[in-house]
Amino acid sequence: MRLEKCWFCSSTVYPGHGIQFVRNDAKIFRFCRSKCHKNFKMKRNPRKVKWTKAYRRVHGKDMTQDSTFEFERKRNRPERYDRNLAENVLKAIPKIDKIRVTREERHHKNRMKGKKEKLLKEAVKELEQGISLVKAPSVLQQDPSLTLPKIKVKVSQQQSEENHAMEE
Amino acid sequence: MGGKCPHRNVKKRRYSHKTARRTKFELKGDDMVYAQLNKPDEERAPLPLDEDLPGMGQYYCLHCDRYFSNVAVRDEHFKTKRHKKRIKQMMGPAPHTQLDADVAAGMGMPDNGPKLMSM
Repeated sequence: MRLEKCWFCSSTVYPGHGIQFVRNDAKIFRFCRSKCHKNFKMKRNPRKVKWTKAYRRVHGKDMTQDSTFEFERKRNRPERYDRNLAENVLKAIPKIDKIRVTREERHHKNRMKGKKEKLLKEAVKELEQGISLVKAPSVLQQDPSLTLPKIKVKVSQQQSEENHAMEE
Repeated sequence: MGGKCPHRNVKKRRYSHKTARRTKFELKGDDMVYAQLNKPDEERAPLPLDEDLPGMGQYYCLHCDRYFSNVAVRDEHFKTKRHKKRIKQMMGPAPHTQLDADVAAGMGMPDNGPKLMSM
């Protein structure tokens, strides 16, 4: 039995699951869950709903161009059976799947490359803006001995953290 | 006396009028309209005569999938905000199709095999 893809969220629809809508012009819409079916009936665009594969593909959050995608496709022309070829294909399927998973992980890692620096910058900014919640501004002004060492300590912390990040 | 009838839902009554039924069941889908609009002019067949449609089916708005009784009414419809919104929508990106869903799920383009020579 054939495994189809959901029209809305692009997940796999296994036999005996989901629902199917055939329009007047014989175009078929398959849905994996009532969640997708309801979204379709509300005329939502899958490219604008964030939890769908179509959205993730359009916004670059998933891998889009890869040679491993060519191995899985709908074949509208039957092939003549060849026992050796079938055995080789069955042997190759797990290898191809492993390669695809590895490449997807690499894509994700590359996408998350600048995240640590971004988080650090955000933390520094939040500290500067929110220090008055810990110590009142008047206290910081009255007691200069509290101010200068803290600034130094912050600077050294930032430098050490940056060095640490660079070392990684 | 005067109790509320448990079967009369306002929602059902509100959605059973003519416009709502037409919008829900009879209108062409966005992808059908899009395909019709992008067809070259040579392939567009002239509108067939149909006595069941207003104006013999000759005054038709393709974007909104509506028939009108004469040219004046149709041209008046072309000025409406709904029609202009529809035109803008059809000028945008192509509607979502099953092929887009398949490609997003990680499948390649369909393999239609070798092209058979015509008889």
